[in-house]
Amino acid sequence: MKQLNVVGRRLPQHDAAAKAMGQAQFTDDLRLPGMLYGRLVRSTIPHGNILHIDTSAALALPGVKGVLTGKDIPDRVYGIVPKAKDEHALARDKVRYIGDEVAAVVAVDPETAEEAARLVRVEYEELPAVFDPLEAIKEGAPVIHDRHPDNTSVRIHKQFGDVEAGFAASAYVFEDSFYSQAVNHAPLEPHAALASYDPQHGDFTIWTSTQIPYFLKRNLATTMGVPENKVRVIKPKVGGGFGQKLDMFAKDFCACWFARELSRPVKFVYEREEVFQNTRQRHPMYLTVKTGVNKQGKILAQHITAHADGGAYNSTAPLMITLSAFFVMIPYKIDNLIYEGYHVYTNKPVGGAMRGHGVPQPRFAIERQVDLIAKRIGVDPVKMRLLNAIKAGEPHPAGFVINTCGFAESVAAAAEAIGWEEKRGKLPFGRGIGVAGSAWPSGVANMAHLSSGAVVELFREGRVNVLSGAADIGQGAETVICQIVAERLGVPLEDVHITAADTGTCPLDAGTFGSGVTVRAGNAALSAANDVRDQLFPFVADHLHCDLEDLAAADRRIFVKGEPERGMSLKEALKEYQYSDQPVPIVGRGAWVPPADQPTDLLTENGNFAPNYSFMTQAAEVEVDTDTGKVRVLRMVTAHDCGQPINPMLVEGQLDGSMVGGMGQALYEDSTCIDGQQHNPSFLDYGFPTVLEMPNMQDIHIDTDDPLGPFGAKEAGEGTQLAPAPAIVNAIADAIGVEFDRLPVTPAMVLEALKKKADVEKADVPEEGGV
Amino acid sequence: MRLPKFDYHQPTTIEEAVAALAGSPGARLLAGGTDLLVNMKLRVDLPQTLVGLDRIPGLRGSTQADGRTVMGAKTTLKDIQNDPVLLERYPALVQAARAVGSYRHQTMGTLGGNLCQNTRCRFFNQSQEWRSVRSLCYKAGGEDCHVMNKKGVCYSTYSGDVAPALLVLDARVRLQGPDGGREIPLAEIYSGEGKSPLALGPSEVVTAVVLPENSANGRSCYLKQGLRGSIDFPIVGAAVARFDGGLRVAYTAVDRSPVRAAEVEAELEGRELTGELIDKVAPLCRKAATVTRTTTQPVPYKRELMAALFRKAARTLV
Amino acid sequence: MAQKQILELTVNGDLYEIACEPNITLLEALREKALLTGTKRGCDLGACGACTVLLDGEAVLACLTLALEAQDREVTTIEGLARNGEMTPLQQAFVDYGAIQCGFCSPGFIMSATAMLADDPSPSQQEIRRRLAGNLCRCTGYAKILKAVEAVVEARARVSAPAGGAL
Repeated sequence: MKQLNVVGRRLPQHDAAAKAMGQAQFTDDLRLPGMLYGRLVRSTIPHGNILHIDTSAALALPGVKGVLTGKDIPDRVYGIVPKAKDEHALARDKVRYIGDEVAAVVAVDPETAEEAARLVRVEYEELPAVFDPLEAIKEGAPVIHDRHPDNTSVRIHKQFGDVEAGFAASAYVFEDSFYSQAVNHAPLEPHAALASYDPQHGDFTIWTSTQIPYFLKRNLATTMGVPENKVRVIKPKVGGGFGQKLDMFAKDFCACWFARELSRPVKFVYEREEVFQNTRQRHPMYLTVKTGVNKQGKILAQHITAHADGGAYNSTAPLMITLSAFFVMIPYKIDNLIYEGYHVYTNKPVGGAMRGHGVPQPRFAIERQVDLIAKRIGVDPVKMRLLNAIKAGEPHPAGFVINTCGFAESVAAAAEAIGWEEKRGKLPFGRGIGVAGSAWPSGVANMAHLSSGAVVELFREGRVNVLSGAADIGQGAETVICQIVAERLGVPLEDVHITAADTGTCPLDAGTFGSGVTVRAGNAALSAANDVRDQLFPFVADHLHCDLEDLAAADRRIFVKGEPERGMSLKEALKEYQYSDQPVPIVGRGAWVPPADQPTDLLTENGNFAPNYSFMTQAAEVEVDTDTGKVRVLRMVTAHDCGQPINPMLVEGQLDGSMVGGMGQALYEDSTCIDGQQHNPSFLDYGFPTVLEMPNMQDIHIDTDDPLGPFGAKEAGEGTQLAPAPAIVNAIADAIGVEFDRLPVTPAMVLEALKKKADVEKADVPEEGGV
Repeated sequence: MRLPKFDYHQPTTIEEAVAALAGSPGARLLAGGTDLLVNMKLRVDLPQTLVGLDRIPGLRGSTQADGRTVMGAKTTLKDIQNDPVLLERYPALVQAARAVGSYRHQTMGTLGGNLCQNTRCRFFNQSQEWRSVRSLCYKAGGEDCHVMNKKGVCYSTYSGDVAPALLVLDARVRLQGPDGGREIPLAEIYSGEGKSPLALGPSEVVTAVVLPENSANGRSCYLKQGLRGSIDFPIVGAAVARFDGGLRVAYTAVDRSPVRAAEVEAELEGRELTGELIDKVAPLCRKAATVTRTTTQPVPYKRELMAALFRKAARTLV
Repeated sequence: MAQKQILELTVNGDLYEIACEPNITLLEALREKALLTGTKRGCDLGACGACTVLLDGEAVLACLTLALEAQDREVTTIEGLARNGEMTPLQQAFVDYGAIQCGFCSPGFIMSATAMLADDPSPSQQEIRRRLAGNLCRCTGYAKILKAVEAVVEARARVSAPAGGAL
């Protein structure tokens, strides 16, 4: 067992007190002298050509400082994935969904900006629109982007092994279809941006609620038509992201544009309704899963077809569909697999990355089908999962290198904790339990920025400063990085200070997505701390007349291992170091790039996607009110292999949040879009769970020690969002014998299904599943 | 979302409030603000003048006299839950007060405000920007009803929790207007119309709610089904009260006003309340209202819930 | 209509004179005029609780309260809880139990819980849930928030001293 002092401890986030006291500053809390306020004007039709925009009434309103339309800005598209850029900050000729940005206004106060936006008149030529991906791919459907006449902007066809042979060898082959809905990330902080401009140097500074400052910097520079070194992106505190703050948005571009045009700082803050309709959502997805198994339930072949409803633009489309394809390859060992995926444009709100990015949908389908198959062939669903569980060190059909894997242990632990043997199929009607499994990479490594850098500086008085590009969006990334540095330098957490996510002062970082921060940015910080040691410790070794390798650091002291009294305080060491002939600052530099065998092309190549992979199984116990159809989740268990947690308290917080988020996906949440317009774009009508819905939750840690993670760590909190929904729906099947195939399972659906079931039973006809 | 501009009066007596209402056509009363201010931000309610009730003393709290309970209109929903007399006599009222929105709304929201809240519809309770996608709806000042695809009708749904509880308890309301005061049965303040759901005179103010001391002899129940346990308006809410010789049943969130289930009540009149009887008459509940698609909840589900909540609530009184 | 007037607002014991029209909400007055930005704007329509402040000790939604209604009353915001730089036991519990992730909902939660504990020093778990259910959190799944509040309730029960300090 490792002896650690700071890593592995339950420590509060380093800025928790500031947040508890109202001192933490989010973007909308910032203000600059002379600041102006912006507001966007949005399309009122789902699809059409812009004929004319009349801004005169808005400009005539006292206090209005400027109006901007798509015709006024450079014809440059942006997007997360370079090859799939398809979005203008303001629409130029055509609008593609209700809410598409067509103009922006800026005024002296928010009230005037809001009024001015309402005075902008837009004349459209309406075009036929399409709202369902399965309609959009049909011949003759309205074309949303000319570049893609079939509305399919990305397609992927991955084949591993020999699927036909696999099916031929199977004792049973089943094909089932599923649907997963549009889910909104709903971070509590609405998206915001504040930009200022220095006319002497042509420098922009933007404070913005973003998860990837470096992507934003590049997208802003490209679309504004300025060199990248003229844009500095600073991320203040971010009030939750969950993937919704990956992209650049109109507010970022327009704040910068007006800041330069008007030589005054400009702030944009989105309304909650705009967060719902006009940022990003989890892609609705139609899935068909065909699976061949042997008599025991071993999966011999699988063919998955997925149609993702992308909405009006690509956002992360190629990445989303790639992740969706690759991560159905874990946690089960499936040697023969085809994944056929399509990202389809519709005239609807835009799909983007959301916790699990492209994978919660197929995970729901697969985990539901495992239960269905188990029932049909008469095997136990837990045993079937164990039979198919992937193991560490096995050759992987897609080329993944899995050094550590606690999946099978997690299945067993979750099943035991939920009371599988005693309860499954044995609870009274209306009560039931279910399980589902999943896995997740620690960082997707096949993107342009796949590395992280870090700088650690050691000051004479013992203060440690860390510079990191990592973007803390509330998950505690900064705390984890500081813990790693503190551990390595032998100081308490309070001595470590971090400046992060400021592209003007911090080293490059890939940003917060794909669960890569702890492993990637953590390893970079570890390497920078090692560099500090490499500079200081030889000096100390000389001083103490010992071997360098024998030195250890803890409690602000550097000493000889096993002889704690033979050492010196860190302060003393620094004083000696700097008063000797080496009065230079001790600055450690570090970087981390995942091992180099990743695929570099998203859609065509295979390989090891991530430095390591986390594994988890979740179990749920539910109670169904058969009078009202309401499902209550009583208990949830997560058994989780995230390697060695750097901070178990923060890991638990991630698991709890993802269980309740997954419960929302299963039962409560649906961005209900009718004729291209969301009918519940508010916290009142989009009912994500409150504390009253929170089930009793239990976390179980499955111990592994990963060789590539810093101090053995792997990702936590994203993979755990994948399995709660299927676990809950599997539990509902156990409770009432109805097999649901679409999300969310609403009380109305439950009641209708119960009624049908009763009618069928009355008619004494052999029961057919609801699927 | 900013509030539109308005003039604000803070009268210190009811008479002043009535005069302020009479003096500025289109003026609205502001009590807890949890309904009106939201609608103003959404710009479906654009009063030129707001008359705040916060400085008027004496409208808060409940008193018992002459065999009646009188509750001031400014009594908050939180006050109601904390009143042991009300809990003992009128459990449905307290359950309804506890069911409103979230505890924050119960803290701010008042009895009078809750009863007089506006009706709701998914095409109406949206921002001006959201609504600009289609023609102005009839309730918001246009011609069209987007729920029914018709002109000149409005089926927006009354969704207050407290009204059905008070309806089954035989509540009356006291009103104060320019010509003095009057007291009428609660049901009479509702017009049954979606566009202007209240049947009050132009400058009339609800000042109190009056209940018979022994209303239902303490045997009443309100049940709400929301998507969540808090914040939400009811998908359906049902109140029942057991009187000698019969049961009263009322619903919210199913029609343009809170409704009594007259047919169900008639069926139960004079019969011994048993579980069997409850199950037998429950299907009749579905027909007690004109349910329309004013929310994203399917109409058949709401009808089923009317029966289900009746069964659950009535069983508590057997 | 709607002339500007001078509003006298007492926040955390300090008097602010604010020139405003009647349509300004307490939330706007606090954040934009008094520059107390600890109170958050999450939905602006009363459905998330992020803007919860105390008005004469009662927790209210600042986004649905007119600033003029707060005149002549005591407003307490998240910035006004600490005494002599020390967090209240509730704030400290939020920190210690990991009840804070992104921190955007935390001020509202802490104000709601502060009002609750002033009303009822020993609420049951179900009552804590009911009273805090108007505050939304998307990060924590609520478990650690509940734990932090329960820890304060338990600590108070252990210290049987009747004269409790400010929470």
